[in-house]
Amino acid sequence: MRYLLLAQLTSDDVAREIARLQRNYQFLSYGMIVAWVIVVVYVLLLVGREKKLKREIASLKVMLEEKQK
Amino acid sequence: MRDKIVYLLGAAAIVIFVRDIYLAAGLPEEASQGAIFKIIFFHVPMAFAAIGASFTALVASILFLVTRNFQYDALAVSVTEVGLALLAGNLITGSIWGHVIWGVWWAWDARLTSALVCWLLYAGYMMLRRAIEEPTQRATFAAVFSIFAFIDVPIVVFSIKWWRTQHPQPVFWGGGSFPPDWSVIFWWNVLAMMLFGVVLTMARLRQEDAQRELDAMRRMAHAF
Repeated sequence: MRYLLLAQLTSDDVAREIARLQRNYQFLSYGMIVAWVIVVVYVLLLVGREKKLKREIASLKVMLEEKQK
Repeated sequence: MRDKIVYLLGAAAIVIFVRDIYLAAGLPEEASQGAIFKIIFFHVPMAFAAIGASFTALVASILFLVTRNFQYDALAVSVTEVGLALLAGNLITGSIWGHVIWGVWWAWDARLTSALVCWLLYAGYMMLRRAIEEPTQRATFAAVFSIFAFIDVPIVVFSIKWWRTQHPQPVFWGGGSFPPDWSVIFWWNVLAMMLFGVVLTMARLRQEDAQRELDAMRRMAHAF
């Protein structure tokens, strides 16, 4: 029965199925990439903000120490 | 000590993610949707983590209004920001799935629209915080707004039960099911995403502490 069904497939059907599979994997990879890009961008934003805060605290500390002298 | 916990949880989350991606790649394709169905391993855990974040923000906001302890306000803003990033990931991965299965990037059905409204509400919460200078007033207004914003969360969750939506019916509480080996990977990924959310929240919380220290130093500098 299976062989009978396979015999009815044309080369167009096979090409269409291959294209469908490729498209599926292509968009799955887009999804994965987007999910990770969002996470990485957010982590980078956090790191950047932390550096800025540390810099500001350090400069204010210096300023306060100078004022106290 | 807190730094070590953050690094440890982050490392655990990454190990679980890498293992799950490897295992999910080896699973067979879903019968009707094909490979794109595997996006569920990220799309849904991101939604679960975002819902967890908004619930934590709700509890922290209520606790701030009751106790006036600014630690709760710091927790609310940290967890809301992380939830916003996770919900953005959920919306975009869902949109990619929709493009393949429905043929359109977006559909204005109850689930998608309420989720977008939820994202906009929490984005509004972040903007509101930037607009108010005075810390007590900012924390109070933000806490009230966060409680108001949470009203949308049950609507997002139950929209697929209450209305006929283009979004699929729930897999786990709507009569559907996963094969056992798929379920194991899925729930591990949910755990990893939750862990990741906790790590990001702890890192963000540390920044709130630093910001408060900075504000106190600025006040001292003005007093001199």
